[in-house]
Amino acid sequence: MIKVPRALFVPWPMGHHFGAPFHTTLQRRVITEALQLLQTAEASGTIVTLPIKWADVRREAKQLTAQGRSL
Amino acid sequence: MMEAVESLKLDPRETGEQLRAGLWQTINQRYPGSMITKADYVPLARLSKPLSQSRVTLISSCGVHLKSDRPMNVCHPFGDFTFRRVPSGAQQSDLIIHQLKYPHDDADLDINVIFPIERLQELVAEEVIGGLTGNFFSFIGYNMDPERFEQTVAAGIADAVEEEHADVALLAPA
Repeated sequence: MIKVPRALFVPWPMGHHFGAPFHTTLQRRVITEALQLLQTAEASGTIVTLPIKWADVRREAKQLTAQGRSL
Repeated sequence: MMEAVESLKLDPRETGEQLRAGLWQTINQRYPGSMITKADYVPLARLSKPLSQSRVTLISSCGVHLKSDRPMNVCHPFGDFTFRRVPSGAQQSDLIIHQLKYPHDDADLDINVIFPIERLQELVAEEVIGGLTGNFFSFIGYNMDPERFEQTVAAGIADAVEEEHADVALLAPA
């Protein structure tokens, strides 16, 4: 049991906790939203769910991944 | 071909229906006590200085390490009770993923998907965060003896994080 005092729940599959390949703005958002909790969490045990569906991530990431593969 | 397109439309990841909705409640009902409650949490430690002056470390169960480092033992039935230090200034080309328990095809394309080392380097350059510890920490999440894990990997990383004078630790599963 890790018992982290603040957590950002990312509703995405295993192996994708910071989003999708080459989607730098999304990767950055996961980090900054998690770090924001350091300032905003009022009580230990705070869990905030990132309101971004995996379907939307995949949609945005498809083209980026295709471009990235050819790099 | 048409069948393939039809089946893609039914994929819940495509239709936007989340597979994890209600998962926590389900686990609590089936395995009472397995999910921690508010009373179990450790006291909240406040930031002693602004984020822009804080030193951040990254701790991940993704099994990423330097290519030059000793590989994780991914074959042992009980797991690998060691951790690796990953220099926070490392480049993506210096790193390799040694873990079999999660899909890392996307992380192989861009390691920041599980171990966002480049994004953290950028946040330092932009002065959003004050700095990074010299090393980040990585281990494999497959460890079948929680007590031994706590005494070896968790305690070892906790000591190392203190030695590196981290103000903030970002914990990431994989």
